Amino acid sequence: MIAEQLAANIIYGLLLGGVYGLATMGLSLIFGVLRVVNVGHGAFIMVGAFTAFWMFTLYSIPPLASIVVAVIVGLAMGFVVFMTIIRRLLDAPELSTLLATFGIGVFIEELSKFFWGPDYVGYSWDIGGISLPFTELPFTKLYAFGSSIVIAALLYVWFSRTKLGKAIRAVVEDKEGAMVCGINVNMVYALSFAIGIALTVTSGVLVTLFTPVGINVYMGGDYTLKAFVIAVLGGLGSPWGAFYAGFIFGLLENGSYTLLGLIPGVEPFGLTRFVSFTALLLILLLKPTGLLGGE
Amino acid sequence: MFKFKSLIIPFAIYIILIAIGLSQPGLWQPIMYIMFYIGIGVALNNFMGLTGYVDFGYVAFLAMGAYGMGVALGYFTYLGIWAIPLGFVLALIFAALLCTAVGGVALRLRGAYFAIATIGVNEGLRYLIEGAKIWGGSEGIILSGKLRKTFGPEFANYLSTFVADAALIIIIFIASVITVYMINSRVGYALLAVREDEDAAKVMGINVTKYKLIAFFTSATIGAMIGASAWTLKLTYVFPEDVFFIHYTVEAIVIVMLGGAGTLLGPVVGGLIYGALKYYLSVILPGFQLLVFAPLLLVIVVAFPEGVVGFVKKKLQERGIIEYIT
Repeated sequence: MIAEQLAANIIYGLLLGGVYGLATMGLSLIFGVLRVVNVGHGAFIMVGAFTAFWMFTLYSIPPLASIVVAVIVGLAMGFVVFMTIIRRLLDAPELSTLLATFGIGVFIEELSKFFWGPDYVGYSWDIGGISLPFTELPFTKLYAFGSSIVIAALLYVWFSRTKLGKAIRAVVEDKEGAMVCGINVNMVYALSFAIGIALTVTSGVLVTLFTPVGINVYMGGDYTLKAFVIAVLGGLGSPWGAFYAGFIFGLLENGSYTLLGLIPGVEPFGLTRFVSFTALLLILLLKPTGLLGGE
Repeated sequence: MFKFKSLIIPFAIYIILIAIGLSQPGLWQPIMYIMFYIGIGVALNNFMGLTGYVDFGYVAFLAMGAYGMGVALGYFTYLGIWAIPLGFVLALIFAALLCTAVGGVALRLRGAYFAIATIGVNEGLRYLIEGAKIWGGSEGIILSGKLRKTFGPEFANYLSTFVADAALIIIIFIASVITVYMINSRVGYALLAVREDEDAAKVMGINVTKYKLIAFFTSATIGAMIGASAWTLKLTYVFPEDVFFIHYTVEAIVIVMLGGAGTLLGPVVGGLIYGALKYYLSVILPGFQLLVFAPLLLVIVVAFPEGVVGFVKKKLQERGIIEYIT
């Protein structure tokens, strides 16, 4: 019984881990290029979730097609936020960018609440699933996992093959050197920020494929905290590390939830969170470059 | 002494606020609301303003204070009136324990890594309390019934109104004195060096860790005292999701920034502006005060990074009045 439950949870953990990975790549990319921690990360995930919800409810557009809309929305939001605020703070101390991104997050949440209301909403996209001996795997979760892999792969190709992708990597490597070679560093910053936000908004769509209920303007806070843990696991500033760390985190979360549920008299949900934050602190203390990071 | 001259303005602000609250009917609660924000600003400033480290998990110290008082009143109610001093002592002990743990782990880190680590401590602690069902877990500690049974309704009411407010006011006065002392002592000079360039300070032979820990500890214990009085004693309950709420940390950071980090007067002015604005916005625009605050925060961060007091100080550089503003 418990073995079956554990097996099912491990599979869900892996699938969810793929989505977590994509949801963290944006945070890591922005930190890696701009050295800005986006404390308002979760608000952009919320925007993605609402994109999927409204496209489905108003125009019956399936969430997978909403990904395109989410990318456009994310790129636009990223450019606007960078041009109005982040650009002015690039040389300011960390405190300024931490507070500014927090303020941006709160502003997006409150604006969303103003227009969409504070209620929990959800949608139901029932397209069947695969029956395994110990659990039922809905296609929506498999699609979410698959899309996340595809997007990450596309991004990888873009980063390694295109001129712009190479320019971004050059700026991460050596900002002054890149400038001397004629790379427009400000443009690279704007582009990286926009791509990071677009990734985050897109992952919001995938999150709703996983759990299509509980969409709320304040849903992002949880994802911000999880993204911090995952980003640190993968080595802050490394998008690929973050993608792999997403799997580790998904497994850790689901595995320890099942195992902690066996202990009588505790609340496994809370303790699972405790385990993940303890992991965060241990890694920061012992290996701040991340589990996979070398440097 | 000369250096305590700068206490005149903040003390005058406190006394005027209290006088307004006492003389105008219906204004006492708003004034205490503002005093709470001044308090967390002054408390956080003792660490963040002086060292330049951004503690995103600061509210955990207020939570430790709240739990210290909550545990004393909830589990040692039989001590009668002595449970209250015990509560303050427990608040100090809990905060000191957390301080040792965080100081050992997080203070080794810098910048963004420090900020993330402190968020981790705050959330981890909250979920440990909820998950392992410590002190009632997510149900928290509810004291109003117990207090009424032990002390009688009249004295219980007196506790949560007069005693809690008086304690908060005393803590704020003491906290300001501590700030002045720290700014003008060896500790303050050492921390100034740390804030400007930590590596250079180390090379100059300053024991960086020691001074950072002193500031951290001072700030944490003041925070715990505020949590014990302004939350547990006043509200008579402790819920983990309330006392570990990250928004309080950010509010405290905003207050310090708004007023001017590292100055004595800064958090007082910041808390006054922030508390008053928040109170009236919640009256005029209930439910949407944050919609006004978020852009305001962005404007402050982008346009006035040195805060109101820093700005005024720059303008008054040549005048004699400058020695009253620290």
